[in-house]
Amino acid sequence: MTTLGQWEGSIVKVTIGATPADGGTRRATCTIGGDRDLPLLGEPGNLSTIPKIAFDVCDDPALWPEVLRLTMGDELGDPAAMAARAEREMGADLVRLNLTSTRRKGFSDFPAIRKTIEDVLSATGLPLIIEGSADPAIDSEVFQQCGEAAEGENVLLGTAEADRYRSVAAAAVAYRHGVIAQSPIDANLAKQLNILLREVGVSQDRIVIDPYTGALGYGLEYSYSVMERIRYAALKGDQDLSSPMISASPDALTIKEVREGSIQQRYETGCTWEYTTALAAIVAGAAIVVVRHPGTVPLLKDAIAGLTRGRGG
Amino acid sequence: MALKALDIYKILPKKNCKECGEPTCLTFAMKLASGKGDVNLCPYLDAEARELLGASTKPPVAKVTIGVGERSVTIGEETVFFRHEKTFVHPPGIFFEVSDLDSDEAIHAVATRVFSESFVRIGQSLQWSGLAVRCRSQSPERYAAVVDSIEKKGYHLPLVLVADTPALLEAALPRAGQFRPLLHAARQDTANEMSTLARNYGCPLVVADPDHDRLLSLATRSEGAIGQDLLLDASPATLRELLVSSSRIRMEAISRVPGAGYPLYVDAGGIEGTISAVLLAVLKFGGVIVTPPLDAASARAALTLRQNIYTDPQRPIQMSPGLYRLGNPGPDSPVFLTVNFSLTYFTLTSYLEATGEPCYLLLADTEGLSVLTAVASGKLSETTVKEAVQKAGLENVVSHRTLIIPGYAAPLSGKIEDATGWKVLVGPRDAAEVGEFLEKEWHS
Repeated sequence: MTTLGQWEGSIVKVTIGATPADGGTRRATCTIGGDRDLPLLGEPGNLSTIPKIAFDVCDDPALWPEVLRLTMGDELGDPAAMAARAEREMGADLVRLNLTSTRRKGFSDFPAIRKTIEDVLSATGLPLIIEGSADPAIDSEVFQQCGEAAEGENVLLGTAEADRYRSVAAAAVAYRHGVIAQSPIDANLAKQLNILLREVGVSQDRIVIDPYTGALGYGLEYSYSVMERIRYAALKGDQDLSSPMISASPDALTIKEVREGSIQQRYETGCTWEYTTALAAIVAGAAIVVVRHPGTVPLLKDAIAGLTRGRGG
Repeated sequence: MALKALDIYKILPKKNCKECGEPTCLTFAMKLASGKGDVNLCPYLDAEARELLGASTKPPVAKVTIGVGERSVTIGEETVFFRHEKTFVHPPGIFFEVSDLDSDEAIHAVATRVFSESFVRIGQSLQWSGLAVRCRSQSPERYAAVVDSIEKKGYHLPLVLVADTPALLEAALPRAGQFRPLLHAARQDTANEMSTLARNYGCPLVVADPDHDRLLSLATRSEGAIGQDLLLDASPATLRELLVSSSRIRMEAISRVPGAGYPLYVDAGGIEGTISAVLLAVLKFGGVIVTPPLDAASARAALTLRQNIYTDPQRPIQMSPGLYRLGNPGPDSPVFLTVNFSLTYFTLTSYLEATGEPCYLLLADTEGLSVLTAVASGKLSETTVKEAVQKAGLENVVSHRTLIIPGYAAPLSGKIEDATGWKVLVGPRDAAEVGEFLEKEWHS
């Protein structure tokens, strides 16, 4: 066992977003990584960096959690409006634009996603994460469009997986964006994918690891431990696991507990469930947590503030 | 530091007498090394060897039991900092707090809730641990009366008695002391009197001090007076202080720093962001967590988190293999085949129920492995699938001969068809897509 603050390795710094000075239009950039201690244990701002919150918006609410569709109305399908709210009302640090329209069978309206990206970029000054398609048949076209539409903005493109990473990596390299590398709750697979991405030209400071996050009650403990393992390995000096981590639980608002009771109960349970999942991810080492419930962002902001300041330590 | 099995073996008599209940001295050594054995079971050790082994083989966090009987709570005996190193052993006790200034009705409403509320998840019943009764009245008579009325109702719940002075606790102890309540707290200026009370009633005691070094020295001092029935309260005021103090104490416990080897007491109500403090204390080494009663959503989340974190990471939770019915399926209903990893089962069940389609779920015996790992390791194969189909007598259950297999098992589809004679339909990789799959592939 080790004592606090004595580590060989550190987490690689990754910057998302570009201000006008760097050729982009973002109000500010967001830098994650740089930590030289276990999550949140080092001195804030020095040995430990402060976790960031990304609010998830989509362009096709049909594939979004029912509890949000029933409570949020038309606005849910307007990613630009939601992105503006995430910045102004909720106080999120980043916006993730989830191009759910590309998940429909036979999707081919590529100009539409370009326009969506442009609209979101002009609606918010926050750095952007763009989640593209999940179908190898259209990946190449989708990520090409995403990369080009966001050129200069240094976005984070997702998601690369072991069996389909070339399209997203190619777009990231060509248009100078970062890449989310997702592996199924396994440190060794995370390591392999990191190596594969570097082999096709993605530099280490543009890779963010997504170890996959199971929701509270639905595999969270596996994700929690794999994040702890990855962080520990990085601090012990494993370069291939030293990228910062992003956590997004796709199921936190769709699991059984959030489908029971009155709509008000479902809305509250969803918020608590997503919040608990994200808090555990932060404690395990996630640098960015992605959430979809508007109520989750302020809860996380309070918790992060409480975790990063105190009278001593 | 903990000794390795071979180091322990060298100290043992190597007689293989079996009197400890183990077949050989080496297996006894291995048991001691894993923190599960009791060194006193060996009758041939001299006092020096016994002490050496006793100190280095017992878990670095002492075991403490609060309450008596069925609902008693045991905490401590932890051996690791990260759960993936081995496992976390005893889930923290979560105690709802009441005050002696609350009305009797309010107090008994909370007590009744703690007594009866439970949630069943993955075959386990999740419950609250007990009541923390705080003396705010500063009146020994009132405090004693409240504790008395709780004991008289016969909840048989473990209690934490929280009071500022030994005199207040002394007033309440004649009513509850025989049921091993946890006493809070011995501070620098009250340690002697508190230790005496704890010793006289045989109760576990919390020692409290916001300063780390003073806390550990207070624990060491109290140890001399009452032994190892102790908890540590670092009195954090923020989430950061909770995280830092808990992490430091656990690390020092594992390094066997004197005074650090005790379970932690966390007063979540005294921390800014109480619900978050409960969750953080569950994640980070809490032993006893005291909180005001939680709202319905937070209550379920906290108990579920505790269950998740205290699941043994080396043993996947398994479902019994076999046929499960969702809704009220008939002979024409679809049959989904999958593995007996409980997480797969619950996720898939959750999405299948959402479709409203009655169906069968056939779990092959993959020894609790997930689909990906079961396919890779051969635990999900045409042989295990054939076995599952035969054992369930599936051909007498449905009139069709089609199995829907997980998307990640697609490479096995030909072999499964050959081995079982059933037609195979490859389902989605992601359980979230079963609804769409049923609509597009099954009904067409």
